[in-house]
This record gives sequence, C-alpha cells and structure tokens, in this order.
Amino acid sequence: MWQWILTLDRILRGQTTQISALREDKFDIPIYGMAVIIQTLGAIYGLCMGLFSISPGGSGHAMQIIASMLKVPALFVCTLIVTFPSLYVFNALVGSRLLILSVLRLLLASLAVILAVLASIGPIVGFFSFTTTSYEFMILLNVFVFTVAGLLGLAFLLQTLHRMTILRSEASATSMTQPSPPEPEMGPLEHPREHVLARHVKTVFRIWVIVFGLVGCQMAWVLRPFIGHPNQPFTWFRHPDSNFFQAVAKAAIKLFS
Amino acid sequence: MARGIALRRSLLWPIDDVLRGGTSAIARESSLNVWRMGGILLACGSFHGAILGSFIGHGSPRLAQIIYSAAKIPLLLLVTSALTLPSFFVVNNLLGLRADFIASLRALAASQAALTITLASLAPVTLLWYLSDPDYSDAILFNAGSFVIATAAAQFALRREYRPLIQQNARHRLMLRVWLAVYAFVGIQMGWVLRPFIGDPDMPVSFFRPNAFTNAYLFLMHLILGKL
Repeated sequence: MWQWILTLDRILRGQTTQISALREDKFDIPIYGMAVIIQTLGAIYGLCMGLFSISPGGSGHAMQIIASMLKVPALFVCTLIVTFPSLYVFNALVGSRLLILSVLRLLLASLAVILAVLASIGPIVGFFSFTTTSYEFMILLNVFVFTVAGLLGLAFLLQTLHRMTILRSEASATSMTQPSPPEPEMGPLEHPREHVLARHVKTVFRIWVIVFGLVGCQMAWVLRPFIGHPNQPFTWFRHPDSNFFQAVAKAAIKLFS
Repeated sequence: MARGIALRRSLLWPIDDVLRGGTSAIARESSLNVWRMGGILLACGSFHGAILGSFIGHGSPRLAQIIYSAAKIPLLLLVTSALTLPSFFVVNNLLGLRADFIASLRALAASQAALTITLASLAPVTLLWYLSDPDYSDAILFNAGSFVIATAAAQFALRREYRPLIQQNARHRLMLRVWLAVYAFVGIQMGWVLRPFIGDPDMPVSFFRPNAFTNAYLFLMHLILGKL
C-alpha cells in the first residue's frame, strides 16, 4: 500500500510524466495499486459528501454515507469503462504509439489525479455538509468541486498525451540521432514550450475531453442520489427522470429565489 | 537575572521575527519554525479571544464566555487551516511547486501568526473600548474593525514571505490567490458556525448559537434579497 501511495505522490509531483521519464518508457504505474488508491480516495470523498445526510438539515439516513462511499469510486470506474474504448481509438487516430495497457495506465493516473484533488477538498465539503441545511447549496458546491477536480485531471491527461505524442514525432524524425539536452523538471500540468502539436490532434483531444465530461455527468445522474434529499427515504438508486443539467439549473434557481 | 533575560528573548524573539519578516532566516536553523508559529497563534489568539469575550455591557463578568472566546479564536484559524491545507498541498504538487512546499507553509503560518499578534496588540484598545462604551453593537463594529486591521497586517506579512517564492516561480502567485479565496470561503463559514465571539450580554452564555449549523452565505443572500 505504501508503494502505491508513493506512486500517487510521484504522479502528483509530475515525476512519472517528465519527458525524460516518458522517453525511457518509464510510465510504469501498478494498475491494481492505482485501482485500490482510486477506490480509497473516492471513498474518502464519498464520506465527506454523504455527511450531509446526518447533518441537522439532512435526511438522517446514515446508509447514505455508505452508499456515497461506494458510489463516488463507482462513478469514475464506470465512466472509465464506458469511455475507455473510444479513448483508445482516438489515441490510435492521433498517431500515438501507446499500447492498450499504456492507455489504461494513463487513464488510471488521470483518475488518480482527479480523485486526489477531490479527496483533498473533501474536508472542506465535509465541513459545509455538516453546517449547511440547504440541499441545493450542497448540490452546487459538489458540482463545483467535481468540475474543478475533473478539469485538473483532464488537463493532466491532455498534457501527458501531448508529451507522449511529442515523443512519437521525435521518434519518427530522422534528425533525432543526437542525444537531446536534459530538460528542467516540470510540473505535471506544465506545457512543454519547444514543441507544437498539430492543430487537428489538439482538436481531437479537446472533443474527447468534452465527451468524457458529458459521460461523467450522465453517469453521475444514473448513479444518484449521492447527497440524499432531506425529505425522501433512502434509496440506492432513483427512477430515471429529467437530466443532470436540468437538475443543476433547477437547484441553482431554487437557491437564488 | 540572566535566566530571566533568556526567557524573555526566547518568548519575544519569534514574535519579533514574524513582525520583521525574519522567519525564513530562523527556518534555516530550525525545522520547528511552523510549530513555533503555531505556538504564537495559540498564545496570542487565546489572549485576544479572552479579551474579546470579556465584554459585559451593563451586566456582570461572565467567565464561561471568556474561556469560550479564548478557545474559539485559535480554533477558528487552526481548523480553517487544517481544512484547506490538503487541497493546497495537492494543487501545489500539480502546479510543480512541491519543492517550495515547506517554504509556502512557513509563509502561511507566519501570516496566521502575524494576524494573532496584531489582534493581541490591539487587545488593550479593545479593553478600553469595552470599558468606555457598553453598547453591544458598537462592540461588534469595533471588533470587526480590529479584524480588518489584523487581516491587513497578515496580508502584508504573507506577501512579504511569498515575494521570494513568486520571484522564483510566477505560479506561486496563482497558488496564493487560490488559497486566499478558499481560505476566506471556509473561514467565513467557520466564523459563522463558531459565533458568538463577543457574546450578547442579554443572551445566556453558550458555545454555539442555536442556529450555528446553518450556511452563512445563504443567510447573507436571503438578508440581501429580503431588503430588495
């Protein structure tokens, strides 16, 4: 377990995605270990999110906490299962030399970044869950936190794919026989300056990121409730009804009226 | 005699260092700097809290309110910091600022210490105000004013400590702004939950108000919407 935590630490620090490390094909993170880390971090955030149910404004159903602890990791794992095939296809289309296991590793690393950000904001969400009686406020706060975490994780994914694609173009160039000078250490979200990715590849990445976000939102809607409505009995799932964006807009309108 | 001087020096030096911006120099000698800042925060925060809670208006002194307020000021700052530090750490990592994390932490701790030192230095003025004006709402306004002054002092200390970091890497500026926004967001709610700090003389002494576990922002929004 300690080794897995150290791997997460290396991912967050950007050590696993330095161009020099990628060039030597060292993007070698344990798939099983990352899966466990993702489950654990998701459960931590689920706990903070579910605290609303036992707060003075909540429904009083403690089962919601258990449900949220299971559902937050499930949300990401299910989104991964749904989007994995299309990512692999797009990845091949943009000309990356990544194999299927490498794509899986990259996705798991991105999910680990998303969940690490989520879990780190967890204490703040837990505090607000416990000191807020407004269900709508908690919905909007959680949507905001998921958005921030998602954007950071997807920025990590795009940046790493970008770096890997650079390596592909380097490998194909004949003038790369001489050893290149060592690069300074970069943050995982930092953009390498000297390389420019082709415009169509960037477009493909951007479209894919939007698809990933939309699938994530819809998955969250399928798996709801995460917070638990104060006036409704505990259920594992709700009936299909409306959609994610309408519900968020409704919550915002109710909050500000 | 010599022992007395040594004691005074060991007590006052850290405070003097925070005010003069010498905390980085100490840090090179001692890894306990952040803990020392915590000690200052506890001591000065409790002192100011005790003075804050000593408001009596036309009534009689209330020891429980003094103890509660003495506990609440350090609690407000420490718990808010504890809630915001995990995300500060993770985002620092993602922005590639891990190497400077201890220095950033030291800057945050120094600014919190500066806040409580300034509050403690204003405590005699607070006492004079309490003795000269028994009105509760005036006391609230006065203390709001001293918090604004102390926050300005803390900002001054924070920017001074962060300047070398920002010169090294401009992304520290972004990180600092994000942290300030998150800290203020959590701190305002924490302050709301931990009310009362002064204690209305016409109400019984209690650690939490009956409606403590509600949302400060929604309360404010409904107040504004109600006025419109």
